[in-house]
Amino acid sequence: MATGEVVHVHAAPQGFIRKYIFSLDHKVIGLQYYFLALTAVFVGMFLSLLMRVHMIWPTAVLPLVGEIKPETYLSLLTMHGTIMVFFVLTTAPQGGFGNYFLPIQIGAPDMAFPVLNMLSFWTTFVAFVVLLAAFFVTGGAPLHGWTGYAPLSALTNAGPGQQLGADLWITSIAIFCIASLMGALNFITTTLDLRAKGMTMMRMPLTCWAWFITAILGLLAFGVLLSAGILLLLDRNLGTSFYVPLVVVNGQIMGHKGGSPLLWQHLFWFFGHPEVYIAILPGMGVASQLLSTFSRKPIFGYKAMVYAIMAIGFLGFMVWGHHMFMSGMSPYSAFAFSLMTMAIGVPSAIKTFNWLGTLHKGRIRFQTPMLYAIGFVSLFVSGGLSGPFLAQPVLDIPLHDTAFVVGHFHLIMGVAAIFGMFAGTYYWFPKMFGRMMNETWGRVHFFITLAGTYCIFMPMHYLGMAGQPRRYSQFTELAYLQHLIPLNTFITYAAILTIGAQFIFVINLFWSMFKGPKSSDNPWEATTLEWTTATPPPHDNFGGRTPVVNHGPYEYSVPGAPRDFVMQTDPASVRTH
Amino acid sequence: MHHVATTHDEGKGQYFWVWGVLLILTAVEVVLAYRQVFQPVRMLEVLMVLSIIKSALIIGYFMHLKYEIAAMKWVMMVAVVACLCLMGIFFADAFRIIHLGVQ
Amino acid sequence: MSDVAVQHGIAGAYEPSLFGTYSKKIGMWLFLLSDSLTFGALLFAYSYGRISNPDWPTPFGKASIANATIMTGCLLSSSLTMVLGVLAARRGDFRWTRWWIFATMVFGSAFIVLHAKEWSGLIGEGMTPFKNPWAPNVPQFGGTFFTLTGMHMLHVTIGVIYLGVVALRKKFLPVLLALWLIVWLVTPADSIFHIAVHVLLVGAVVAAVILFLKPKDYDAHDVEIAGLYWHFVDLVWMFIFPLVYLMSTRV
Ligand code: HEM
Ligand SMILES: [Cu+2]
Repeated sequence: MATGEVVHVHAAPQGFIRKYIFSLDHKVIGLQYYFLALTAVFVGMFLSLLMRVHMIWPTAVLPLVGEIKPETYLSLLTMHGTIMVFFVLTTAPQGGFGNYFLPIQIGAPDMAFPVLNMLSFWTTFVAFVVLLAAFFVTGGAPLHGWTGYAPLSALTNAGPGQQLGADLWITSIAIFCIASLMGALNFITTTLDLRAKGMTMMRMPLTCWAWFITAILGLLAFGVLLSAGILLLLDRNLGTSFYVPLVVVNGQIMGHKGGSPLLWQHLFWFFGHPEVYIAILPGMGVASQLLSTFSRKPIFGYKAMVYAIMAIGFLGFMVWGHHMFMSGMSPYSAFAFSLMTMAIGVPSAIKTFNWLGTLHKGRIRFQTPMLYAIGFVSLFVSGGLSGPFLAQPVLDIPLHDTAFVVGHFHLIMGVAAIFGMFAGTYYWFPKMFGRMMNETWGRVHFFITLAGTYCIFMPMHYLGMAGQPRRYSQFTELAYLQHLIPLNTFITYAAILTIGAQFIFVINLFWSMFKGPKSSDNPWEATTLEWTTATPPPHDNFGGRTPVVNHGPYEYSVPGAPRDFVMQTDPASVRTH
Repeated sequence: MHHVATTHDEGKGQYFWVWGVLLILTAVEVVLAYRQVFQPVRMLEVLMVLSIIKSALIIGYFMHLKYEIAAMKWVMMVAVVACLCLMGIFFADAFRIIHLGVQ
Repeated sequence: MSDVAVQHGIAGAYEPSLFGTYSKKIGMWLFLLSDSLTFGALLFAYSYGRISNPDWPTPFGKASIANATIMTGCLLSSSLTMVLGVLAARRGDFRWTRWWIFATMVFGSAFIVLHAKEWSGLIGEGMTPFKNPWAPNVPQFGGTFFTLTGMHMLHVTIGVIYLGVVALRKKFLPVLLALWLIVWLVTPADSIFHIAVHVLLVGAVVAAVILFLKPKDYDAHDVEIAGLYWHFVDLVWMFIFPLVYLMSTRV
């Protein structure tokens, strides 16, 4: 168009089904992902509650589930891990927030392939239903943990949950892979092709960079897991021997021969390590965005941040072996993997320093989203510091498969990523629903959650060093673990408190959706494109216009500017840094 | 079907050339393998080199990557080649297994 | 620039695409990228099993190799006809485009038929996913063979359906259903293809849904990206053929 301004106005679809169920609008799809993840996180949390309760009162008869037997514990563990990793950490930050805000932040009317976007959500949904179905089939949910190690996962008679339950688990994962692939190629194409005039790559908000790199990781990683899953299904159902050597189960020689469980571990972790970055990168993006906005300062080292994200993504593909030091691998590979893993510390440290540099001398506004962003940094550091320890084979061998690892990955991948989601929720809620969330309850929620998660996961490092194994259902009878029972009891109480506090969040969320004070278009005085449009954004995001971008994403405290921030769409005549 | 404007238009001839070369390379592969000209490991190397040449021809000409802009060429190819090479690390273990005597 | 933008004549409102081409093509390339890793993982699983089992059988004699070589020739020629189809589409000559696509589909189908014959022969000799008559100690031989070639055959089949839809749109559906019925009726009930043919039925349903949702004409761009997919399937075979067949020739 001659003016480059007024363009095509898309009519919003009519009818409930087209508008809210099979919607092609990335904003609706984003919310669908978000609420799917919200449901999933509550299921996952409930399972963790059962596990924690079982750990200290192994014989207690619980309402709804009865007495938890050791194999039930393993089922809970598997489903907790799988739901949390796939349907929460992969779904909400990327599918949810990414879907909603990537197009708006780069000035696009929608994703590049809206139909694919819809399919991707509904495929994820099917995967979730298939996974939950595993609870209800004979034998129950599988026992093999979220990593599905063979041969346990490859044999149908290896345990009660290893029958139909395990087939459903693998099928669910395979479907999820396909869904994620569709999502990933959509995100990448959108970022490459649909940036508004002036939105060069180096003017994209760091959130968009994070979503973009996450999508690339997903594109390259999920295809491999898909193959691995197909082979596992074949091993189970057609009698092939990809992952199973000659084994004897219950005194009976199985028909398999010559396969290698290590092959599964390789393929799984080739996906698995990039996956943990898929979980955390969007959180890093949100933290960067919020720290800058609420410190009223440009992000410290924008370019370094971009390159650090790229470096993390790149190195993330070369370190999967650090999960296999215990499985036995060629010592040369172990050495290389160890070195590469430590190298990831460098870009991670760069990001951390830049976050602190952004806070330094900022005029910080301690609103709830900011609290969560700071919490994210705190958890990222606390969880991340144990990483270089685990990266060394000598230290990993005693610590692997103990509660130490559970503490490590919960802090850095679990709760840190969840904090990123909380930060995103409190920050973008006004844009998504047109109302503000309650500040006071937001703060209460934050402080309980922060203290609670530290109380749960910090002591686990100690437990692990004292020798408490991971994935064990009953250890209260073991003599050498007796003295750890009080600490375990403390953790369980902390978990109950923390999980309880999440209801504050949900109530705040739904209450504010209908009753919260109305918000303006730009309540946080932020600069990126989503804050230039109406609240909530119209169907085509900018009401028939395509914004023209003149500035970088983090122009705060600009000397001489009329306000203390310069929006990305402000006229080019406004001088910035 | 309707017409869309397209930019480059190369000659038909080159495709026939590429096709011919691909067929010849295939024939060479078959002859080498069937006559068992080399030891198995050497044979694998030779076949893989020929296959890589063939796939380069397919990607470059048939899939037109040769005519795409540099950014696309590099990003796409580097990503996939790097990942595939990385998977090569698996083999270190496969070789170890023989010596471990795992069945 | 994106398709949406180009179609609405608002390409000027956006930054030029980083990859200098239209979205659908980038999307297809990205899909192929991930698919090549899917195949890569399968090929690696195969090689892994092969390395760790020194007694790998080498059963493919003259007939098998000749058959597989003809199959390779079919695929290579289909790539040639495909690229000629793309060229014709660019010129706007859709009559020829259609003919070239038909030729491609014929070569593709020939590949599938030859491969199916090969499978039946091997199955007849007693090869299954978990055992083979040549090396009882290496059950992986059958598993890897059927997985790799099966996955590839699935891709070829999808490719033929895809091309048929691009060339004929709705008119292709009855052809597909007829094919499904015929194959289902001719194959004996205990043959694997008696079951596998349902892929065609599923393909017909999916194609019908797509055609119902987006009943548009396919243009040169659609032909081009269908071509990308087709060439990729050809490319994968360039690795399966030497690794699976040529490295297992019987002298
Ligand atoms: C309320 C917070 C949470 C509590 C109390 C909790 C508790 C637990 C417990 C008790 C285990 C079993 C440890 C063992 O016996 O080995 C576990 C495992 C696990 N959790 Fe959590 N968890 C929480 C949140 C999360 C989150 C947010 C994630 C997301 C990453 C997560 C991911 C996992 C994974 C991947 C496993 C390992 C499962 C396996 O070994 O296969 N958890 N969690
Ligand atoms: Cu890792």
